Amino acid sequence: MSDGLTRRDALNRVARGTVLLGFGGTAAFLIEKADGQVVWQVDASRCVNSRLGEVGVPVCTLCTTECVVQQSAVRAVNNFRECGRCYICPAYYNIKSAVDEKGLPSEKLCPRDAIERQPIGMVDPGDPANNFYEYIIDDEKCDGCGICVKGCKEPLGLGSIILKVRHNLCVDCNHCAISLACPKEALVRQPVADALEPTLATHSTR
Amino acid sequence: MYKQVQVIGGKGEGAHRFGRTLRSITVDGSDRLYAVGDSELKVFDADGTLRHRWPTSRPGYAVAVADDGLVCVGEAGQVEIFDSGGTLANTWRDAERLGRITAIGFVSGYVLVGDAKDRAIRRYDASGTFLNDIGKNNRMQGFLIPNGIVDFSVDADGVIHATNPGKHRIERYTPDDQLLGHIGRFNGIDPAGFSGCCNPTNVTVAGRDRIYVTEKAEPRAKVYDFQGSLIAVIATDVFDPNCKNMDIAVDRRGRVYVADTVRLEILAFEGDAES
Repeated sequence: MSDGLTRRDALNRVARGTVLLGFGGTAAFLIEKADGQVVWQVDASRCVNSRLGEVGVPVCTLCTTECVVQQSAVRAVNNFRECGRCYICPAYYNIKSAVDEKGLPSEKLCPRDAIERQPIGMVDPGDPANNFYEYIIDDEKCDGCGICVKGCKEPLGLGSIILKVRHNLCVDCNHCAISLACPKEALVRQPVADALEPTLATHSTR
Repeated sequence: MYKQVQVIGGKGEGAHRFGRTLRSITVDGSDRLYAVGDSELKVFDADGTLRHRWPTSRPGYAVAVADDGLVCVGEAGQVEIFDSGGTLANTWRDAERLGRITAIGFVSGYVLVGDAKDRAIRRYDASGTFLNDIGKNNRMQGFLIPNGIVDFSVDADGVIHATNPGKHRIERYTPDDQLLGHIGRFNGIDPAGFSGCCNPTNVTVAGRDRIYVTEKAEPRAKVYDFQGSLIAVIATDVFDPNCKNMDIAVDRRGRVYVADTVRLEILAFEGDAES
């Protein structure tokens, strides 16, 4: 090195700079977080359960198993603006189960029975398929396992059900345990305004 | 039993390939294959060789060829009508009734168009005057199409066979909107049933007694008789698993064409004598 700076010195400076930048980034995040400006949220376009194009892969349940909050701070949320209100919803029914006497799948998909199916308006007694149905996820029962999310994903469904961090449950860890485990880096820090979307509604506006 | 005999098109830049979309196919009386995707119509010979192509003013969602050779392309907000050489002969626009045209057919001198935006089939006379809706005057105010397209086909007797995927049915209508009946039921295990939330997505009828359909998730093509009995599963595992709304057409030889909407290929299948 020409000005007396050895290669080792230069590398040390770069390393220190990188560490300082890292601290700076973390510090900036912590300041923003302390101010309530950023929160953890699931990016549905990265989550393997909802990401388009990912077919034939098993359901990922890390949001349930890795979260430090009991029953997880993550919940499945149905975006009613996107929901098809189908007669046979592949997120509600196990569509691979045997058909019952009514012509419907005999098993539900959710292991915690957290989804309620309600007809919109009066059911046509002669033809129950002649109706729209609303699918409401019970926050008390849901543990964010993602099984219904995968059932709803395109092209099987319309992708209206996605995973969301519930901020009334999230304890706002500096390093979210799910984010450390998520293979798709789907847990992201988002500004509060982006993280709180209308999808957090628990009922549709009929 | 059916076997795959040919692959036409594919994703790419070449003239015979499709750039971004492949949405609809049909076959004319001379077994020429027509396909719309992107903003272009392509015409292939019976052997799969590209013979013509011409641009459409908007991306095409449906294509049909009338007995007189006119080629109709359904688009968002309009139907473009070309002569057999690709010269634009007419454009039908109807802000209220031509929302997004995903199917076109002909019956007794009338033109039928499927409007996915309003979940209904419209009947027009040959001059483009609206006559009546089909499949709209019911409790659900249209077909249940979470998959996003209306599709139908007209048989030799002038009966319209329309998919109602949210009900897992193919319904039969007269041109003046009388519901004659339906075939189909949900079943996620038995291949004779229609699986998922909303299947079948596409239909075409051929001969006196054959209804050909495609399904999504998992994508497959099947053939039924008019009573709803499954005749054969044409293909299951040859399509991209993310496919949906795969259009289907059958030529005079009984060759079945299915559009893979992800790989942008048209797959051709031939059955044995029993099929």
